[in-house]
Amino acid sequence: MKPPPFHYAAPTSVAEAVALLGEHADEEARVLAGGQSLVPLMNFRLAQPGHLIDLRRVEELTRIGTDGDTLVIGAMVRQSHAEHAPEVAVGAPLLAEALGYVAHPPIRNSGTVGGSIAHADPSAELPAVVLALDAELVVAGPQGDRTIPAAEFFRGPFSTAIEPGEILTEVRIPRRDGGQAFVEFARTHGNFALVGVATVIELDGDTVTRVSIALSGVAGTPVRATAAEQALVGTVPDDASIRAAAAADDLSPAGDVHGGTETRTDIARSYLRRGIELALQRAQDRR
Amino acid sequence: MSPVDKHDVTLTVNGRTSTVTVEPRKLLVDVLREDLGLTGTHIGCEHGVCGTCTVLRDGASIRSCTTFAVQVDGCEIRTVEGLAKGAELHPLQDEFWDKQGLQCGYCTPGMLMRACEIVETNPDVTAAEVREGIASNICRCTGYQFITEAVCAAAVRMKAGNP
Amino acid sequence: MTTVDRSAPPVRTHKENRTWVGKSIRRVEDPKFLRGRGGYIGDMTLPGMLHAAVLRSPHAHARITAIDTAAALAAPGVHDVITGARAAELCDPLPDFGPNPAAHTWRCLAKDKVRYVGEGVAVVVADSRYLAEDALALIDVEYEPLPAVVDPERALEDGAALVHDDLGSNCAYERTFQFGEVDRDFAEAEVIVTDRLRWHRSGGQPMETVGAVADFDHATGELTVHTNSLSFTSYLFMVATTMRIPTNKLDIRPVPAGGSFGSKLFATKPAVLAGMCSREVGRPVQYLEDRVDNISNCDHHGSDRVYDVQLAMMRDGTMRGIKIDTVEDYGAYIQFGVGHHGNALAQVVGPYTMTSVEYRVRAALTNKNQQGAYRGFGSEVNNWMLEQIVDKAARELDLDPVEMRRRNFIREFPHFIPTGNVYDSGDYDAVLDKALDLSEYKHWRAEQAKAREEGRYIGIGLITAQERSVFSATEFWFWFDEPGAPVTSMPESVTLKVDATGGITATLYSCAFWGNSPETMVAQLVAEEFDCDPHSVSIVYQGSKNGLPATGPGGSRTTVMLAGAVEGATAKIKAKALRAAAHLLEANPDDMEWVDGGYQVKGVPEQRKTLAEIAIMLHLFKHSFPEDMESGLEDSKVFDHPYTTMPSADRKDLGVFYPFMGHACHVPVVEVDIETGAVSFLAYAAVHDCGTLVNPRSLAGHIVGGTAQGIGTALYEEYVYDDDGQLLTSSYLDYLIPSAMEVPELKIGHHETPSPYTLHGIKGGGEGGRMMAPAAINVAVNDALAPLGVRVTELPMTPDRLRAAIRAAQTARESG
Repeated sequence: MKPPPFHYAAPTSVAEAVALLGEHADEEARVLAGGQSLVPLMNFRLAQPGHLIDLRRVEELTRIGTDGDTLVIGAMVRQSHAEHAPEVAVGAPLLAEALGYVAHPPIRNSGTVGGSIAHADPSAELPAVVLALDAELVVAGPQGDRTIPAAEFFRGPFSTAIEPGEILTEVRIPRRDGGQAFVEFARTHGNFALVGVATVIELDGDTVTRVSIALSGVAGTPVRATAAEQALVGTVPDDASIRAAAAADDLSPAGDVHGGTETRTDIARSYLRRGIELALQRAQDRR
Repeated sequence: MSPVDKHDVTLTVNGRTSTVTVEPRKLLVDVLREDLGLTGTHIGCEHGVCGTCTVLRDGASIRSCTTFAVQVDGCEIRTVEGLAKGAELHPLQDEFWDKQGLQCGYCTPGMLMRACEIVETNPDVTAAEVREGIASNICRCTGYQFITEAVCAAAVRMKAGNP
Repeated sequence: MTTVDRSAPPVRTHKENRTWVGKSIRRVEDPKFLRGRGGYIGDMTLPGMLHAAVLRSPHAHARITAIDTAAALAAPGVHDVITGARAAELCDPLPDFGPNPAAHTWRCLAKDKVRYVGEGVAVVVADSRYLAEDALALIDVEYEPLPAVVDPERALEDGAALVHDDLGSNCAYERTFQFGEVDRDFAEAEVIVTDRLRWHRSGGQPMETVGAVADFDHATGELTVHTNSLSFTSYLFMVATTMRIPTNKLDIRPVPAGGSFGSKLFATKPAVLAGMCSREVGRPVQYLEDRVDNISNCDHHGSDRVYDVQLAMMRDGTMRGIKIDTVEDYGAYIQFGVGHHGNALAQVVGPYTMTSVEYRVRAALTNKNQQGAYRGFGSEVNNWMLEQIVDKAARELDLDPVEMRRRNFIREFPHFIPTGNVYDSGDYDAVLDKALDLSEYKHWRAEQAKAREEGRYIGIGLITAQERSVFSATEFWFWFDEPGAPVTSMPESVTLKVDATGGITATLYSCAFWGNSPETMVAQLVAEEFDCDPHSVSIVYQGSKNGLPATGPGGSRTTVMLAGAVEGATAKIKAKALRAAAHLLEANPDDMEWVDGGYQVKGVPEQRKTLAEIAIMLHLFKHSFPEDMESGLEDSKVFDHPYTTMPSADRKDLGVFYPFMGHACHVPVVEVDIETGAVSFLAYAAVHDCGTLVNPRSLAGHIVGGTAQGIGTALYEEYVYDDDGQLLTSSYLDYLIPSAMEVPELKIGHHETPSPYTLHGIKGGGEGGRMMAPAAINVAVNDALAPLGVRVTELPMTPDRLRAAIRAAQTARESG
């Protein structure tokens, strides 16, 4: 299981990387971030890019900072770095918690925040997190930068709004108050999840004022549990109403070897409930 | 496609710096094993799941089977061959031996390097943390129990400065 | 005619105060592995060595209508491309123990038809594995797809597509055996409990795949094969025959195997592929499976069975007899015949005093990778089947499951079970008592009751089951009235050499190391015999060409067989040393005794020669001894199976074929999350009786490791083929092996009932964990779900299967 041959370049700036991507567009040029999704695919020879543009030397993409109330994470920030960064713990605890579910530490030591989002695996954690947090994704291209809301970013399995020739450079996450929780169900520790639930609940007293819930693993892209959100907002949730909210969305996850549609739906509803309960508990604890 | 250029890759492996000239597609594990003759790092699955090929890059554990050597140009790499000091085993090696934390020995180098990162970053590591930590690496022989015991025992010795 | 020889070997008296046997010394194998100097097959490089890669079939069942290799041959670094058709000219079919090898021909590469996804159709030899894989992509194969045969029961129906046209059916073997008075027991039974059970296939999946480095020398016509597969006695013939090489021109050299769990037993295909390529290109060739090769094309998938079972019972819980009807899905070929069922028949009645057994086995061929060996070799499936129906019986009769088991225990030994195999010794009550205590059984029953009130589903899975050890050859052929190869030898050999300074070197034959501890076992046994430090004993391996007969590991045989060989070689060496010492001391050998590393005159400790003193004289001072004493102090023992008897002609008695019978009691405590179908462990206790222990910690390691694999079998691992025969689990993304987070901390207890027939009373114990855990975990899950009326009868118990069962029960309750 050895990867096919490819040309390689390791530019030091985004501009240079974008230029190289354009230059080698006809050779199936692709961006190489941490490689933790792409290299296995290449070892299986399921991906055969002719040219890899490695972003490891582009220092401007490896920073974590804040812009007012917005957390700004460079696309090449390693997942293990973000997982333990104080700025993330403060600015987006949901992301920090979700990062702990991304495979295992040796994968997170190489894998990047931007790489996972751009790969857009429907069962991955980070796409659901940025969707729940209404994050913005910044991409650079030959025509300059553009900013894409997370809700418009994911187009399908392994497919995003990044156009050919563009590079994801930055994740901008607005700060959210309230309780945040990420829960997921995987058959074995660190394996791909059957479902992941990213939840943010804000309270005024006991009343839910704002709620965001995104699910991974139940469709071709991460999706918002809009019916659950609507069922909860403006209410004082109790066990029965949380159960009802968790059952509110129409879910029809595709079955595979790890679970048929019915079982995946059962598990998704169960974890939706657990995610709401945990986020609510945390929101209450913060009051 | 047009012929692929080889690239120079400079690695400091177990404290010794070498430059190899390889195709960009060459995996780090193959460079270690074939170009540098360090066959202690083994290949298990070649898709990043089993952890058999684990090495440390600048102190952090990585999968050398899902890392192109060009991606670690300029980095410091540690492998199982760097653990012992001559005749003296590293505390992890010694405790793996004492507790029988290995049977076939094939996952052992990767497991040792992962354990090395765990105890170096968390000197007070608990058995539960060791279990979660080594869940990144599959051992098909031991059922992990004696590995966990060995890592905990080594952590105590290393913290006490008693290698 | 049921005439069998029931003569047993002499009952032995065991040494009482042992020094080294029974101590958990550090393993002598380990330092090289800890330092990354294991010397596995992938670490081997020979000058000029090339690399091979195999093109795998994407189809479950298809005719190969054309293969174009021109582009691959022209690719950079490629030396040769061999298709299945050309391989069939270069090599004979791979030999097997199957019922009708000419009608289910198995080759190293498919010749005209592929029979499963992953079957090899061509091999490329190139300068590197990278270049070999580049060339694979350039081979153009035209296939004519055929309907796939996937379900084993449907495979046996009329009109099913044929996996092997020459066989005319997909039933490779069918026979019904009756042992004891089956009809009487069923007629007299007060209750007949029935069950239908399904065990799906998983496999050993060692972290190291199978591989070989072959070097054919055209000057001498000799082939040298270095490989991590095993066994001289059979493997040598198999590779030589396939390669059309005289056996004295083939040298198989053992290298350490990075795990096997059975799956490297007689793995002939990689050696043949490498050997064939080496002979064609005239250079050494390495062929190493990659992980996808190993999952899809290793020839070592584990058991895959459907059971219909009936247990004849009395109302008081006494078991009388059992009828077992099983269909086994062997995949596309059947290399070991139905030997897996021999394993089952060795302990088919478990620890229970049943007096009759009916056993019907049908072997189905399907479009899947074939079965080989996986820790338990089919006996683990029998344990599971038996414990499931025993547990069901206890529920149906409303009896305590522990007491019902105890009521049926065999208590007198040696005990011949209905199939003819013997249980040499045991104390099942003692093991059960220890397990009840160690597991805090009563505490967990109380916790279970509390949990149920809280709406939580906790289950306790107590099972008592057998752990046969030390296989003999008859189980591979007693299936047939006129077997083609009724082999009876399964020896193991050791050479011991005492050098001029008294240092001891032991030579092992075959490929003894696959993660077990043959070197440690031999070192401890030698130390026990010679009163030396086991770590001072040097161990080497010998290749087949200069080797003595040896079988290698399998069927939990290594330690018992090596012990017998060490004992025999020691006796010869000590006899010579005694004679030499007596001569040097001018004493009568009859007046001398072995004391603490030397011979001395009884009662006169100053009249003494140490082993080193004797050895230097024997090596360097020939003229100090009588004319007929040769120089040196070295000897060997070829140790044959100590207790095998032949089956009766009518096969109503299969003879003794797996006599050293261990026993175990496993008690997992699980919690089932009924919303998700996830199973987690709250506690796990295991007590094993493997006779006298040589290294208790090593055995404990095997118990934990085997249990971890059993957890995989019970909950996670399955080679899944869809209705079209596509393999859905071809990587570790989908074939799920338990990590440290899925395996609980085990409490381990040992009980020691020495075998009366082996050195020190040792029995084998390498497979026990996996032979117990699937049964125990299934019983535990069913115990947890009993309040819902759910009983799971299919392994692995995935979330999907558990949720389906729970949903069905909920629906039934709502509609009922």
